[in-house]
Amino acid sequence: MLYDFIVVGSGSGGGALSYYLNKSGAKVLLLEAGKFYRKDTFPKTEAETSAYLYWGGGIEFAKDGRMGFLRTKMVGGSSIVYQCLMDRFDDIALNDWKNESGVNWFTPEIMAPHYDQVESDMVLHTFCREEMRPNGILFADACDKLGYKWGYLRRGQSNCAPEKDNDCTGCLGGCFRDSKQSSLVAFIQKAEKEGLEIIAETEIYKVEPNKDTCKVHGFQNGKQVTFEGKKVILSGGAFGSTRMMHMSGYKSKLPALGKKFASHPQFMWLGFQNEIVDAHKGMFQSVASKDPNFRAQGFKLENVFASPISIGMLMNETGIEHQRLMKQYRYMQCIEVAVRDENAGEILCDNKGKLTVSKPLTDQDKTRRDKGHHAIENILNTSGAKEIYKSKFYFGLHLMGGCTMGVDGATSVVNPDFQVHGEKTLYIADSSIFPNAPGINPGLTIKSLGHKLAQQLIK
Amino acid sequence: MANFFSTRATKGLLNVGEIYCPKNGEFPSFKEAAGTAYLNNFVKNVPEDDFNSLSLVLAIFSFLPNFLLVWIINLCTNAQNSPSDGLLYSNLRQLNLGLRGLCYSIYYSEFTNPNYKGKKALDVLDYKLNRVTE
Repeated sequence: MLYDFIVVGSGSGGGALSYYLNKSGAKVLLLEAGKFYRKDTFPKTEAETSAYLYWGGGIEFAKDGRMGFLRTKMVGGSSIVYQCLMDRFDDIALNDWKNESGVNWFTPEIMAPHYDQVESDMVLHTFCREEMRPNGILFADACDKLGYKWGYLRRGQSNCAPEKDNDCTGCLGGCFRDSKQSSLVAFIQKAEKEGLEIIAETEIYKVEPNKDTCKVHGFQNGKQVTFEGKKVILSGGAFGSTRMMHMSGYKSKLPALGKKFASHPQFMWLGFQNEIVDAHKGMFQSVASKDPNFRAQGFKLENVFASPISIGMLMNETGIEHQRLMKQYRYMQCIEVAVRDENAGEILCDNKGKLTVSKPLTDQDKTRRDKGHHAIENILNTSGAKEIYKSKFYFGLHLMGGCTMGVDGATSVVNPDFQVHGEKTLYIADSSIFPNAPGINPGLTIKSLGHKLAQQLIK
Repeated sequence: MANFFSTRATKGLLNVGEIYCPKNGEFPSFKEAAGTAYLNNFVKNVPEDDFNSLSLVLAIFSFLPNFLLVWIINLCTNAQNSPSDGLLYSNLRQLNLGLRGLCYSIYYSEFTNPNYKGKKALDVLDYKLNRVTE
């Protein structure tokens, strides 16, 4: 069968893109390496979530073993496990993209209709004071005292049942009530009802574009499979799309392949309170820093938290000291700094498809981290924390770059029309095309870029 | 082929887990509480090369006296703070996180040893999660 469009990867980009393409009446195939979970089949425990939903069986590491990357493997991709915070990019982020890539449509005005459309296809909720849990209240009140600006988060969610004391840390392993507006809920399941063909557990390793069509080759249940479309769009994320391009032999043609990798390194610190905080209960994340000074300094703060295994992983202590810290789980206040990092990382791939990721923290990254840590320490002290745990472990959730967009084939992988330089039938639409790190949650923009490409392809 | 820990590797993990999570007040010892029967479920998606390396290391750990194991775990833990990006320290850091991930996944979880009837680590934390599905 010859499809009009084959989309490889079903995360934020691929999910939205396949929805909009399918809506136009085109024959669309959505391929995904991971399994197809539904709200009633997601893993029910934190241990199973880590082991089943992530590439590498939980976590992948940078070459130096310092940074962990969390990369999901299932229909819906990272949107299934993330917090679904929906922020538009600001002038700073889009201007920096424009300057780095030479792509002149990276402007708030041109992106606005795409943001508008995606937002209208999701249920969005902005939190308010009444919904804040103690972790958020401690954060906001301390920010007020210190003169730091903060704001309520906007999240994709339809019905989280807070009145029934539902705990949303559970949905970090997939929302079990289809409230969180993941790509699965907001786009893929809707498109499925309208005829989108979805094939899960099919890992594509190679693309073969020609003049009029493009083939993709992969494995399904250990057997080789090939699909052909008039156009193929890779949406496997920074690691996935970059790997497919590497394995298809593009490194010699496009030297920028794998380069300019960034990941918004995240550092979580804990403050131990005298009173119970229960940061894992209810709508656990409702506010974040909105301070222009922080933005200018290249970091942001969020009042995040996690389940016990993940919190335990933040601590490098062993034995009795580790248990002393963990015993205070319900008393923990938690703040993370996410650094707007330089795109100094690189994603390499050997001929067997094994990825090696180099992601050094640059001096600028470290300065931004330290400024963020200083602000966190101020907030925790002002909140009355009796002890502060400064975790040294850091990780990347927002994996960006590797197939960056730009006007020059010598320094980028895709052109301003999302086409791989030199190809007519092969496109990329996901976070791998980001020219640099925006310092803002990328989910909404990835979806909006998917919408932009869909509009262009439908024409 | 599916990843599967040998009896020897499982013994090594129990020894390591006891260093990370010993019997301490209300906290159960890793050896008595850990549901090792579930262990293989948690590694089925680990790349085969990585699993084989981990399995080999754990099997070696099963032969080591406790003082030596404590020394190695301390080496791994301290590697997190080392400025070196050399192969040794990179691998020690990955081993540190890999071992902790595996141990905590079964210690701070519902997957305890079915013969263990005492308080689970999650109960000691007084951790409860309410999932409202309807």
